[in-house]
Amino acid sequence: MSSAKAGVAGSADALAAVVALRRLADQLEDTAVEQAMSSGWSWPEVAEALGVSRQAVHKKHAKRLIAAGIPLRRR
Amino acid sequence: MIAFDAFLRTLLEHAGKEAERDRCSTIEAQHLLLAMASPSATETSEFLGSLGLDQEALRAALALELGHALGAAGLSVDAAELPLAQSPPRPARGLSARALGTSVQHALERGLGTLRDTPRPAHLLLGILQADVGTVPRALALAGFDRRELLGRVRRTLEATGT
Repeated sequence: MSSAKAGVAGSADALAAVVALRRLADQLEDTAVEQAMSSGWSWPEVAEALGVSRQAVHKKHAKRLIAAGIPLRRR
Repeated sequence: MIAFDAFLRTLLEHAGKEAERDRCSTIEAQHLLLAMASPSATETSEFLGSLGLDQEALRAALALELGHALGAAGLSVDAAELPLAQSPPRPARGLSARALGTSVQHALERGLGTLRDTPRPAHLLLGILQADVGTVPRALALAGFDRRELLGRVRRTLEATGT
């Protein structure tokens, strides 16, 4: 492993930025979906706003929102 | 072996909580390292503390790395200012529990994969510190830690004490 790879500049920074942005996007999505569902948005509305299918957003978020006791609209 | 298995099982439980705190769907090497530095991990925390790697120092290093990585994308984000969801982060798809991320899998392979001795906690630490790329080596470098020196200290401790 070269010192350039082990360092913190160039490609290492660019790749780390991808990791950090994915993590930030996941965190923002969790928060935004929870806030929307808490304030009465429906699954289809949240799905359309995110540009994904209703099934996809339900599968991704329903379990944790139910576990957290967030009231969910069915439609 | 049974003692190490018990150590690893408890460590992964703690690391899972660190991943949850981090709102990460998988357990990554930094979560394992934070769990090893937890005062409750008596097998490892004192040694890590002697290297300057207590939980506070590790969290500061990881925050530095996150800020630096986001800065490379042109963003300046204060993680403490971000709104947080109340619900726990979602686990990886298809898994009921939080799964091991690739950085942990690699650390386990490096530290324990070719081991002929009885595995010890320090072997796992070696596996984590041997990563040349990724969040942990970046965080350590940005916080001013010399990873080669750390690796040397861990190896010497393994040879000398069997810790």
